[in-house]
Amino acid sequence: MSIDKQESVKKLFTAQSAKVETNKGDAYYNELYDRCRARLDELKKLKPLNNRMDFMQSIEEEGLERRDFLKWASATTAMLMLPASFTPLVAEAAVMMNRLPVIWIELQDCAGNSEALLRSDGPKIDDIILDIISLEFHETLMAPSGHQAEKQLEDAVEHFKGKYLLFVEGSIPQGIDGHFGTIGAKAETFIDHTLRLAKDAAAVVAVGSCATFGGIPAAAPNPTDAVGVMDVVKGKPIINIPACPANPSNMVGVLLHYVLTGSIPELDSLLRPKFAFGYRIHDNCERRAHFDAGEYVEEWGDEGAKNNFCLYKVGCKGPMTFNNCSIIRYNEAVNWPIGVGRGCIGCSEPDFWDKYAYERPMANANIKAPTGGVEKTVDEFGLGLLTAAGIGIAIHAAASAVAGKKSEEV
Amino acid sequence: MKRMVIRQLIEKIEGEAELDYTFSEGRIEDVKINFGFYRGIEEILEGKDPKDALVITPRVCGICNHAHLIAAVRAIEDGYENAGVKIGLTQKAKNIREFTLACELLQNHIKWFYMTLLPNLEKYLKIVSEENHAMKATYFSTTITKALAIFSGQWPHSSYAIPGGVTCDPTQLDVMQAQSLLEECVRFFEQVVTACSLEKYLAIDSVSQLHKIEGDFGRLLHLLGSNGMAEMGQSYDRFIVFSDSFLSKAGKSIVTSVSKVDTRYVHESAQKGSVAKAVSYKNRLYETGPLARGMVSKEPIVKSLHKRYKDSLMTRVFARVHEVALLLEESRKLLKEIRVDEPSCTLEAELKLYEFEGTGTVEAARGSLIHKTTVNNGVIVKYDIITPTQWNLSHGNEKEKGIAVKAMVGSQSIEEADFIFRTFDVCSVCTAQ
Ligand code: SF4
Ligand code: SF4
Repeated sequence: MSIDKQESVKKLFTAQSAKVETNKGDAYYNELYDRCRARLDELKKLKPLNNRMDFMQSIEEEGLERRDFLKWASATTAMLMLPASFTPLVAEAAVMMNRLPVIWIELQDCAGNSEALLRSDGPKIDDIILDIISLEFHETLMAPSGHQAEKQLEDAVEHFKGKYLLFVEGSIPQGIDGHFGTIGAKAETFIDHTLRLAKDAAAVVAVGSCATFGGIPAAAPNPTDAVGVMDVVKGKPIINIPACPANPSNMVGVLLHYVLTGSIPELDSLLRPKFAFGYRIHDNCERRAHFDAGEYVEEWGDEGAKNNFCLYKVGCKGPMTFNNCSIIRYNEAVNWPIGVGRGCIGCSEPDFWDKYAYERPMANANIKAPTGGVEKTVDEFGLGLLTAAGIGIAIHAAASAVAGKKSEEV
Repeated sequence: MKRMVIRQLIEKIEGEAELDYTFSEGRIEDVKINFGFYRGIEEILEGKDPKDALVITPRVCGICNHAHLIAAVRAIEDGYENAGVKIGLTQKAKNIREFTLACELLQNHIKWFYMTLLPNLEKYLKIVSEENHAMKATYFSTTITKALAIFSGQWPHSSYAIPGGVTCDPTQLDVMQAQSLLEECVRFFEQVVTACSLEKYLAIDSVSQLHKIEGDFGRLLHLLGSNGMAEMGQSYDRFIVFSDSFLSKAGKSIVTSVSKVDTRYVHESAQKGSVAKAVSYKNRLYETGPLARGMVSKEPIVKSLHKRYKDSLMTRVFARVHEVALLLEESRKLLKEIRVDEPSCTLEAELKLYEFEGTGTVEAARGSLIHKTTVNNGVIVKYDIITPTQWNLSHGNEKEKGIAVKAMVGSQSIEEADFIFRTFDVCSVCTAQ
């Protein structure tokens, strides 16, 4: 099943409607190709950092064939917004993933992203990649513990100075001088810990909504004065992979891009990789046809719910949430929240709790529409923001009027 | 010999803990368990819409997030009922909720067994094994969380349960897909964990038949037995369970006598030098979790082990792995009985109550989880989350040491104490919130 998924991932990412300023011209891609080629040749000379399983061997053990792997590579190339000619390079980079040292720390978190990583929600090959990356330090996954673990962390920092990617999970509490969060026998605060480890990192990857924008801990009244990594770490490349939990496919995407090009992927103004956060949930939502047709779930368990109608009126924030979970989905692509009739909560947006909040219907959410100001009604809001979908909204407004209902949210 | 305090950092649990061991005469005399962080989830909930708890509280913990969702939805439903609104969940909604909860417990137990317990035991006994424990854990948990996600949309952090039911409306095909994933887990349990059929395993009801268990579980039992560890790690022999479920009825058990409980007698208190609150029932400490469930519901095999080893780490470890079999068996029934044509949700969304007070309990992987919500003028004015680990891991009070502390006291080494500590399936993110 996961393999067929690849075909649809590729289709979606190469579809005309889904494009995010992709084509940068031949000269650009030729130069990039040469750069990637040279980098991979360099990497090939290095020994793998760990003697965990060999990549191709793992693929075989999972009962996958080379053909499956190449399918995956071409879908991933599309996802990273690279031309198809890069496919062989992407395949090569995946195999060399164990040349990249990764240090993973947990701060003010619920361990949900580690869980997501552990459960490897991504399609099979993403799992294997996460299995073979050289995780030099991760509290839950590594073998040593206690003082040994602390030493392993120090050794890894020393040994891979300037080379490792630092993954951070969880927000950073600033209150009472950072003492809402401390770590290790010396009770180092989370802030100091992060700064110290970020100093020698090649780049910092903030995983999950907590590490990126503060997440739930930063919801009002933000008792611990929690913030995301980018508010604390300065002078380092930072990549944000928000969502709660972050999608493992996106973690793999970032790693792969780094192995392949030696640089971080193109980011939006919130430092999110464009390949993953260049689209709105709404753009590829399976209930979109119902939105356009003006067919909505009005209350839980109603006929609309039974027919999988659009969840906009019960608070779905898909139209203003940038993320690719409508394509990638969760738990090995089995499902995603909208698939079970629960709307999107906008967890990959900054201040998601205070601004988006699931139970608050759109009109009461504190989100500023592009037209400025907080919009009042579903229809106004829709027309302001969703020009492409304006027709659907208009139909809906008409239908509501016929039914004698107010088209305003209550 | 002089007193000596050694501080040790414990990872490979969910989050981290620091343990300060006090040694006297070469034995551990006391242990202080510290959790190094705080988020303030209860404070964040104040002033919010009661239904916000359905999305916020699962974020307390990446491992038992689903239990938080169910506790939160039950707290609201209980509040509605107290205010005179009848809830009337359909059997379908009940079964789906129980099934997804069972999946969460299953993934937790197997992950704990393979990623925490076995490797730590091997470390303690200095055994080098070729086994890839993590791979086994991942395989099983990935499979069962896929079944969970069919109904809940994602795991961790789903919010598909709502007052009056669930939002999903599965087709028969969805149910069949879940069944096939579940059967895959049964197969794993039969072939790898116990090397014996589920049916045969469930017929084992006394210590004398334990030799029938082989596989990784059999190996673990053997290692504990042959290394003189079976009687280590005893605590007070007091157990508590707050939620009625197929795993256990609510009740408390002191040594072997079982009696009723009421959440009104649960008392939380601040602990000096820790952000984690301690919790007691009528001023006494109780152990919660699979062993408590086995004792309160008088599960024959658990009782048999208890007769021989008391509340030792052997009985405690056994009870948790044993639950995997019970959960698999019950999950089969739950799925089989889902009637897809019943309604998923029976309450209108418009229904908004402005004043209510409700309590929701649930049996989570590590024991009873309690949510209490008080709503005034349509917003939460007080929210209490009492997690299982607060029962097991508090320092205790002036009169008594905490449950896990008591189990570690008397150990001769940090390694020994550390292993005992981990038999409790420690979770720091829940304890500290
Ligand atoms: S972003 Fe979500 S999954 Fe991650 S630590 Fe925060 S609450 Fe947990
Ligand atoms: S509003 Fe939500 S449910 Fe409706 S089409 Fe958009 S993303 Fe999908």
